[in-house]
Amino acid sequence: MVFMLPFLVLFGVFRVYAVGYAIVLSFQDIEGIGVTEWTGFSNYRRLLSDSTFFTALRNTALYTAGTLLVLIPVPFILAAVLQSKLVVRQSALRSAFFLPVLTSLVVVGVVFSLLLTTNGLVNSFLGLFGVPAQGWLETRSLAIPAMIIMAFWRWTGINIIYFTTGLSNIPSELYESASVDGAGPIRKFWHLSVPLSKPIILFVTVLTIFGGFQLFVEPLILWGTGGGPGQGGLSVVVHLYRTAFTSFQLGYASAIGVVLALIIMSVSLITLKLFGFFKKE
Amino acid sequence: MTTRARTRLPRSSRHRRRLKLLLLSIIAAGATVLAACDSGGSVSDLEGEEGEENEEQAMEVDPEHEGEEVELEFWTFVDAHADFMMERAEEFNAENSDYNIVINASVADYEDMHDRLLVALQSGAGAPDVVDIEIGRFGTYLRGDVQLHPLTDVVDAHRDELVEERTAPYQLDGVDYGIDYHLGTWVMFYNNAVLEEAGVDVDEIVTWDDYIEAGQQVAENTDAMMTSVETTAPTSLLGLMKQNGGGIYDENNELILDSPENVEAVQLISDMVHEHGIAEAPPGSEHHETAYYEAFNNGEYASVWMPQWYMIRFTEFMPDTEGDMLVRPMPEFEPGGFISTMGGGTGTAITTHIDEEKLDAAKEFLGFAKLTYDAQVALWTDLGFDPFRNDVYDDPALTEPDPWFGDEPVMTNLQEMFDRLAPEYTGPRYPEAIIQLAENVAYEVIEENADPQQSLERGADQVRSVDE
Repeated sequence: MVFMLPFLVLFGVFRVYAVGYAIVLSFQDIEGIGVTEWTGFSNYRRLLSDSTFFTALRNTALYTAGTLLVLIPVPFILAAVLQSKLVVRQSALRSAFFLPVLTSLVVVGVVFSLLLTTNGLVNSFLGLFGVPAQGWLETRSLAIPAMIIMAFWRWTGINIIYFTTGLSNIPSELYESASVDGAGPIRKFWHLSVPLSKPIILFVTVLTIFGGFQLFVEPLILWGTGGGPGQGGLSVVVHLYRTAFTSFQLGYASAIGVVLALIIMSVSLITLKLFGFFKKE
Repeated sequence: MTTRARTRLPRSSRHRRRLKLLLLSIIAAGATVLAACDSGGSVSDLEGEEGEENEEQAMEVDPEHEGEEVELEFWTFVDAHADFMMERAEEFNAENSDYNIVINASVADYEDMHDRLLVALQSGAGAPDVVDIEIGRFGTYLRGDVQLHPLTDVVDAHRDELVEERTAPYQLDGVDYGIDYHLGTWVMFYNNAVLEEAGVDVDEIVTWDDYIEAGQQVAENTDAMMTSVETTAPTSLLGLMKQNGGGIYDENNELILDSPENVEAVQLISDMVHEHGIAEAPPGSEHHETAYYEAFNNGEYASVWMPQWYMIRFTEFMPDTEGDMLVRPMPEFEPGGFISTMGGGTGTAITTHIDEEKLDAAKEFLGFAKLTYDAQVALWTDLGFDPFRNDVYDDPALTEPDPWFGDEPVMTNLQEMFDRLAPEYTGPRYPEAIIQLAENVAYEVIEENADPQQSLERGADQVRSVDE
């Protein structure tokens, strides 16, 4: 117990108290310095008519969905390929994939704002396939795709590590007996690797959902004011942050935070349910 | 802020996952990370502000000085401002035997510094004595109980010499709370090489109609475009809005984002883009982007309207424009009307958290550092900014012809615009209005050809809804 105390104290002060206080704040109107008033649910009512919040929510949901689409299957396949005997120098490759994770987000932002310019590397690469140059950072509808490209580069490595760990826990006897039964690599992948990796896929999915809904630093680095062209890159947390620090409405910002927490929780619970997490095994 | 940094692998019990869920919800509810970026002010691209570590700079104490030692904690988001204030402190100490001012400057990036200041003022601990607050954020600090010291008496001592319009953005109910670094006179920068190729005489451009006509000539006779309009920053729109007598607030502190003057100004810009074909979105969508500097440097644009502080960009980032640039007033909307306004700005303020006994020294120093004749000359010589004290414009340092800018005395010409300078007022929701202009109105009008009136009305509704 004594050894846990430092953790418990820090957790209590910086997490439990902070959350509790945020919930309290969400029922108050705090504007300017030292002006506090209890206002019941009015912050929550205001949220319902806040079109900027819904724009941000839509963007954030799209971003999350996009990251799920690329950050689960691609790293999983790459992990399986790295795991197989098809690849030489596995550990070198694994480190190469992992490196982006260690890069400071600010550096990533600066590099990507160069890569994504009209005559940047991303457009040159797409040009090889005949795709015309896009104004990634200047077009409303491309703001989210631009951030997904950035997330893809940044998070593939860590997801490969997760999946590799999951895959290496599958007993090799299963693969051997499948081979004896005449299964090829694709069938083994589809009928052994995928189903047996379900827990780790679930874990990565939930983490990706968390990461997606907390989208914050990326838009702030890519676009000065944080909302992007036509607010196409505005995320819920950026809206929260601006409400707190630009409008200085801490009560309303807390309400946005509480609602975002509830949304993340519900989406995660639905995901867990869909994966059959609550079924008795 | 990311959860992926914690790499604890599954196998875990449900309760660990629930804990994780809880943890993350908590993070979502409360935490935000501070990141670096400026909304495009007078200095944003001149500083290495992206992710820059906080930097402390302290002056050396002169042990010989007989005056009372007064340490002032100074926060800013611009390195050059810290240097500027420390140099003024040295001059102050040399001339003054009562106080020995020691500046402890702390430079953080734009967002970080403003947020920390808010938190410090709110929590009542850790606030600096003296602080730079950017014009776009100043309104935030004038809400509720104002935690800044009135500086009216400091400004009063020099008010007769000042360009009065520059004090308005930092006032609330007639009380001054901040002192700027520049006037930010709005001008038109012309690339005369392009205009000559097109057969346009710059000095025949007097009205916006002349400007459009010249723009069409440029489009016909050269490969260049007359100008560009920022689509993710407020500057291009705001300049014309203010020049036309609009802006964000009026002198009565009323939000006028959707006023007829603003609609007319934005309509004019929209027409330049969509009807006359003489303007477009700049590469990189802003005038502070490398891609844009390159394009302008290559002669792809004949002009750009920006405040005076943009001058340094030509000498720093667009080397091929040397000798070709000309600084002129904005074309007028109506005969005798405004031909300029002001843009950008940073107000230096004293917080109420300063020790009572330091207050007099701090005020005396601030007046010395920002408003005296020598200090205002230094604004130009040290920082390249246009001073807002009228009498310094006769100083030899400001009357010298500038070879980069057509060998003309740019600052002397600038001063001639001061009696036709549209004022600027800020108000409590100025920062929110700036965001609406930058992210919605500019983009919709330029890129999507939205109706300026409807777009401005939507923006104004958004700003008003903050207080509903």
